[in-house]
Amino acid sequence: MGRGMSGEPMIAASGLSKDYGSGRGLFGLDLEVGPAEVFGFLGPNGSGKSTTMRLLLALIKPTSGSARLLGLDSNKGSIEIRRRIGFLPGDLALYPKLTGRDMLDYLAELRGGVDRSVRDSLVDRFGADLERPIRELSTGNRQKLGLIQAFMHEPELLILDEPISGLDPLVQQSFHTLLREVTELGRTVFLSSHTLSEVERVADRVGILRQGRLVVVDSLENLRKVALQRLEIEFAGRADPAEFLSLPGVKAVHASGRTLTISFEGSADAVVKTAAAHEVLAIRPREDDLEDIFLRYYREVPT
Amino acid sequence: MSWSVTRITVRLRLFGAVLAGLGLVAVMIVVGALFPSVGHTIGKLDVPASVANLLGGADYATITGWFRSEIAVIYAPLVLGALAITGASAVTAGEEEDRILALVLAHPIGRSRLILAKALAVALIVLIMAFAVWVGLILGVAAGGGGITLGHITALAVQLAFFGFATGALALAFGAGTGRRSLASGAAAAIAILGWLVNGFAPLVSAIDWLRYLSLFYYYSGHDPLARGVGVPGLIVLGLVTLVLTAAAVVTFDRRDLRA
Repeated sequence: MGRGMSGEPMIAASGLSKDYGSGRGLFGLDLEVGPAEVFGFLGPNGSGKSTTMRLLLALIKPTSGSARLLGLDSNKGSIEIRRRIGFLPGDLALYPKLTGRDMLDYLAELRGGVDRSVRDSLVDRFGADLERPIRELSTGNRQKLGLIQAFMHEPELLILDEPISGLDPLVQQSFHTLLREVTELGRTVFLSSHTLSEVERVADRVGILRQGRLVVVDSLENLRKVALQRLEIEFAGRADPAEFLSLPGVKAVHASGRTLTISFEGSADAVVKTAAAHEVLAIRPREDDLEDIFLRYYREVPT
Repeated sequence: MSWSVTRITVRLRLFGAVLAGLGLVAVMIVVGALFPSVGHTIGKLDVPASVANLLGGADYATITGWFRSEIAVIYAPLVLGALAITGASAVTAGEEEDRILALVLAHPIGRSRLILAKALAVALIVLIMAFAVWVGLILGVAAGGGGITLGHITALAVQLAFFGFATGALALAFGAGTGRRSLASGAAAAIAILGWLVNGFAPLVSAIDWLRYLSLFYYYSGHDPLARGVGVPGLIVLGLVTLVLTAAAVVTFDRRDLRA
């Protein structure tokens, strides 16, 4: 269960590119996602996440490179691939006139072989409203329908573009639980987000995409290791940012009145000792926020 | 082909089509009822041949001429063509722009099957409209005192249905080929209207008389179905045009990137 043919990775992209001109698109994506993995695909809006997913689904064709899903070529094997995967598009759109029930019935018909009890349990789990026309539903309630259609045929591989957007916290919780359940069953999830906090709790590995290029792929654990630490130090008198900037390991100093926020890698020793030469009113560690890693890769990695 | 796609597509447009169909029927009954008092008064209009041609002869004194000018030449093909064109562009390019096709095509259905299912849905809508015209003509002619045979009424409805298939296929090809809804309906409508004008004006100038053979409208009305029954060559041409354009829709849609 959950393995691609002959133990191949569930997703394997090699040199996958889509050039939209003027620097937009996706360039030379090499990526493998293994069975039973939750892979978080991160990047700001317009960095190429949706383009990647649309390439995998063969909604668009690559300029160069190729991708294999479940051991099949993404273009030639597209129908078979689509039979076996679940997809949630970003900016999900449904027929506004249909009720949620009719929409799901239609999509189930297109798929064939959807177990009604699986669908019903997903409906219960997310508390989806199936009776009202879709045009009357909030974004979050539409997104629930999108998630249900992606999961209802128990696919081996899920490709979810911004699945958490618009969901309220309680539903996010159900979604996370569901992700855990399906990966325990050996299924694979490839999901995108533009904020790390959304995938932090669910992803085994993340890849960060910037201007169409994959800048890093690593486990969250490793990413945390290279995370910058930040200390917020409030001084009694005026403090000179330059004094800290020259210290080894310090990457950035942000001054706000008498408070400096210092970002550094490695040991805090030099920063603390330098601060000790002044009268210090407070030292507050800023939360080791993965958002910082994320932002750092956005900014610093040269193209 | 996918019946699910055809069924849902027809269902989402059925209300509008039935409403338009009822409108057609109502208008034709009124038009028929007006004939006895108004038709003879107008008689045969003394207008330039160009205008007469566009108006389908402008002979209002006979019931055949009356319905030809009032319904067959402008009103019925206009309503039917408009519905076929807006329908065909909406269910292809419209759904693509609305991002619904991206979700549908994430399901195990081939692009060709999708377009063929959409084409069939458009054809069914056209048939509903043609049926409305048929019913409307029967009732309208009866209201006008009779005078057109059921065979000729049926001939007009059949000819009109094929005209609808072809104009719908035109919009389908533009819609599937470009993914741009307004371009698809605009281009198809422009071609249809140009065809109507060409069919009216070309015969007046012998040098460009041949141009009318490029007009879909000619193959619909050139044989004068209300007076002379079905024009089989016209039906064959319209049928072939429909098939070719549908094939073009399938091929172009299969090759290109989805826009949204």
